[in-house]
Amino acid sequence: MNASRARMIWSVVTWTIVLAVVFPLIWMIVTSVKPQSELFSIPPTLMPETITFEHYWRLLTDTPFLQYFRNSMILAVTTTVVVVVLGTLGAYSLVRFKYRGRETLATLVLFTYLMPSVVLVVPLYLMMAKLGLANTLASLVIAYTTFALPYALWLLRSFMSSIPVDLESAALVDGADRMGAFVDVILPQALPGIVSTALFTFILCWNEYLFALVLVNSDSVRPLTAGTMNMLITSFNIDWSLLMAASVMMSLPLIVIFTFLQGTLTKGFGAGAVKG
Amino acid sequence: MHSDPPPSLEKRYARIGVVLIAPTVLVFCAVILYPLISAIYLSLFSIYTPTLAGEWVGVDNYTALLASGDFWNAARNTLIWTVGTLMLQLVFGVAMALLLNQSIVFRSLARSLVLFPYFLSTVVAVLVWRWLFNDLYGILNHVLLIAGLIDAPVNWLGQMPNAMISIILVGAWKYFPFVVIVVLARLQSIPEQLYEAATIDGAGPFQRFTDITLPQLRDVLVVVVLLRAIWDFKEFDLIYLMTGGGPVRATQTLSLLVYEEAFRLNRMGMASTYAVAMMLVLLGFTLVYLRQTNRIEEG
Amino acid sequence: MAEVVFEKVRKTFGSTIAVNELDLTIEEGEFVSLLGPSGCGKTTTLRMLAGLEEPSGGTIRIGDRVVNSVPPAQRDIAMVFQSYALYPHMTVGKNIAYPLKKRGIREPERSGRVMATARLLELETLLDRKPAQLSGGQQQRVALGRAMVREPQVFLLDEPLSNLDARLRAHMRAELIEVHRRIGRTMIYVTHDQLEAMTMSTRIAVMNAGVLQQFATPADIFHRPANVFVAGFIGSPAMSLVDGELTGPGSDGSDGDGRFRVHCGALDVALPAGLLNRSAAPGPISLGIRPEDILLGSGDHTAAVGLVERTGHESIVRLDAQGTPLIMRAPGDTPIEAGETVRFSLRGERLHVFDSATGRRLNADTENS
Repeated sequence: MNASRARMIWSVVTWTIVLAVVFPLIWMIVTSVKPQSELFSIPPTLMPETITFEHYWRLLTDTPFLQYFRNSMILAVTTTVVVVVLGTLGAYSLVRFKYRGRETLATLVLFTYLMPSVVLVVPLYLMMAKLGLANTLASLVIAYTTFALPYALWLLRSFMSSIPVDLESAALVDGADRMGAFVDVILPQALPGIVSTALFTFILCWNEYLFALVLVNSDSVRPLTAGTMNMLITSFNIDWSLLMAASVMMSLPLIVIFTFLQGTLTKGFGAGAVKG
Repeated sequence: MHSDPPPSLEKRYARIGVVLIAPTVLVFCAVILYPLISAIYLSLFSIYTPTLAGEWVGVDNYTALLASGDFWNAARNTLIWTVGTLMLQLVFGVAMALLLNQSIVFRSLARSLVLFPYFLSTVVAVLVWRWLFNDLYGILNHVLLIAGLIDAPVNWLGQMPNAMISIILVGAWKYFPFVVIVVLARLQSIPEQLYEAATIDGAGPFQRFTDITLPQLRDVLVVVVLLRAIWDFKEFDLIYLMTGGGPVRATQTLSLLVYEEAFRLNRMGMASTYAVAMMLVLLGFTLVYLRQTNRIEEG
Repeated sequence: MAEVVFEKVRKTFGSTIAVNELDLTIEEGEFVSLLGPSGCGKTTTLRMLAGLEEPSGGTIRIGDRVVNSVPPAQRDIAMVFQSYALYPHMTVGKNIAYPLKKRGIREPERSGRVMATARLLELETLLDRKPAQLSGGQQQRVALGRAMVREPQVFLLDEPLSNLDARLRAHMRAELIEVHRRIGRTMIYVTHDQLEAMTMSTRIAVMNAGVLQQFATPADIFHRPANVFVAGFIGSPAMSLVDGELTGPGSDGSDGDGRFRVHCGALDVALPAGLLNRSAAPGPISLGIRPEDILLGSGDHTAAVGLVERTGHESIVRLDAQGTPLIMRAPGDTPIEAGETVRFSLRGERLHVFDSATGRRLNADTENS
């Protein structure tokens, strides 16, 4: 069988599966623009007969959705900044310095990102209550840092260890001190990895549910995940149109990040995972 | 000769290194180590969640745990869930990675699209799938009816064994892209020359797969299986939002049990006990993972 | 002054001794090569001088300053790395300017010096390119420029030519010699290539397994190797070494004319008087014969001819003298074929005799003999 025929067969098989995988998301978008009447038609229509944006409008004007969106944005951005700063410095320390306890620390990092959030949530809840931070965005930032930081360290470590040591040595000989070499040489080289880690951390925070559920109980502070579930499932009838519209809007940052930066995001992720 | 030798270079560098990692260590101690230890501590108490009032019960919680039907039920469900979804993730993940490593049209687009489920919020994934699974209006039932595979709408989430099957399927859909990313990365790093040499030696496509591809994948697959096993084991969001543990605890895993004890039955102490039990299992997995990755690094 | 002194310098990594009690004094303005096989400790020594490794023992001095714990930035040295280590995200111009920037040298002096260095190395047209866009030879010159622009006291070079192809290497060798001549500063050069060491150095420090074997001029190293390691390492094709016995003078088994004799395999040679030093005594030895010291045609010895490699201007011939393998060098058009039997003689005054137990050379003109 020649190459172009094989290519066609592989393409058909692969794309069939890809479309099947992506179908739920397409269905989500289709459902969100169908008018309510069409929604409950039997048999369900694959292509909407009429397209309407009324659900989106209702979502934005009639519900606390925008407030949830704002909360999630503040939360994700703040946590990402904190995690990336701490993670970059920490990863540099783990990769390029020698001191007692370094290996133990590296192993501890590993242990922690395997910790189930459900185990942490109980004591964290108590701790936040004691600190007077219950039901605040700050408590979520702190909580999110706990699980985002280990991931970030893991990713950043593998990025940094792939930077040739000679570059730093050259900078040291050329007149830089250790931190100077870090800023002048390591940071620019690690930039793709740092961006990748930042994006990954952002997505992690944006999608988190359990901590948001437990640590916060008022709409003014609630992020999107808990907010959406809370807002729409409490009603007697599940408003699927609204839910699908909310789902689409919730996924917007992901779609944006993916469209422009998918390569950066997954390149190091795959490599980092292999090294563990 | 010298009054006081200057601190050695290595010592000075070590100091900088410690300073750089100090904030991270602080965060770890405060927000991970401390809660972890207090979870163990709390498990020895009986605590009423809303008021946080508690009293010492010693190991009573643990004996209750061992006698509790709920605990063993949850443990069994966790096992079924983990093994089921892990196997599917593995099979689909490896198959997809192999496919995406071939020459196909719009390959990079396909590679991007296939990753979406993994990076999607669990909330969104659950909402979408619950809509798909809806017995009356969901498109899944509709398609199956038309295809003649079923003759009445299926209750996907409210009945057993459907509920367990449903969450296993959704879990596989959501997490198999992780396997794809890692396996594909490894596949791409296998030098083309190995395959060329094998072809010259007369190996056919199946033989090339078993003799070259599989051995190279082995290391990576071990790591992937261990990581996914750990993560699937501790999964909360997906199951809680899909079925809530129902129908009647039929899909309640250990994570859900901890949540129920802590926030519905208001028994913080007991919840911590279950949490400690989970941690011990995960510790076992983690040690195996560490040993495997060390072996791979040395080997 | 920029004299570089190593005093009893030691470096251990765990239980491995990389550098063992190194004593070395390098005069200002010298071009010294650290030569030896991989793992001999030459790169470790260089890195200790640079400040990238810290000695486990001993003292390193630059000028009159002990620099053991001084950070690299403050040692007034520059280094060219084997991988060039050019900063990939900076242009050539910025790469060369970096050391000046770190010293606080401002514009316009900075660009002035960068330009001057670039002109010296013919890099002016490349200043706005990034390292990835340059060829190997160009990258090497940028690395050199970055080292030179600061005009440091000491230049360190870690096998800078090993990534270049043979022709470019020969060209760069000449350029480096010229650079050294022009700037006159101390240069310390690590290499495993003896040709580089021999052609470029004022003195060569030969190292093996962390121990300094000999520190002398190229001529001394070639003609008067201190021990059997140096003798076998230097020279291409390598010296033929044959184990055997030293007898005489006047002891049993020797001829009565008061001369030493060596019995090595099939070779039985009377050594010229005065060849060996006063400490030489009968016993097990190794005989060393350089390829150019075997003369074809007439002589007391015979051998079967094995492989003949003709390179055009010379022929390298492998001989088998009744079980003793030898390599010799003959003019290119010598009519000699494999399988023949030939007669040959040895240049007696150029033979080298090494003590089997210590490896030391027993000839009278050995340094410190």
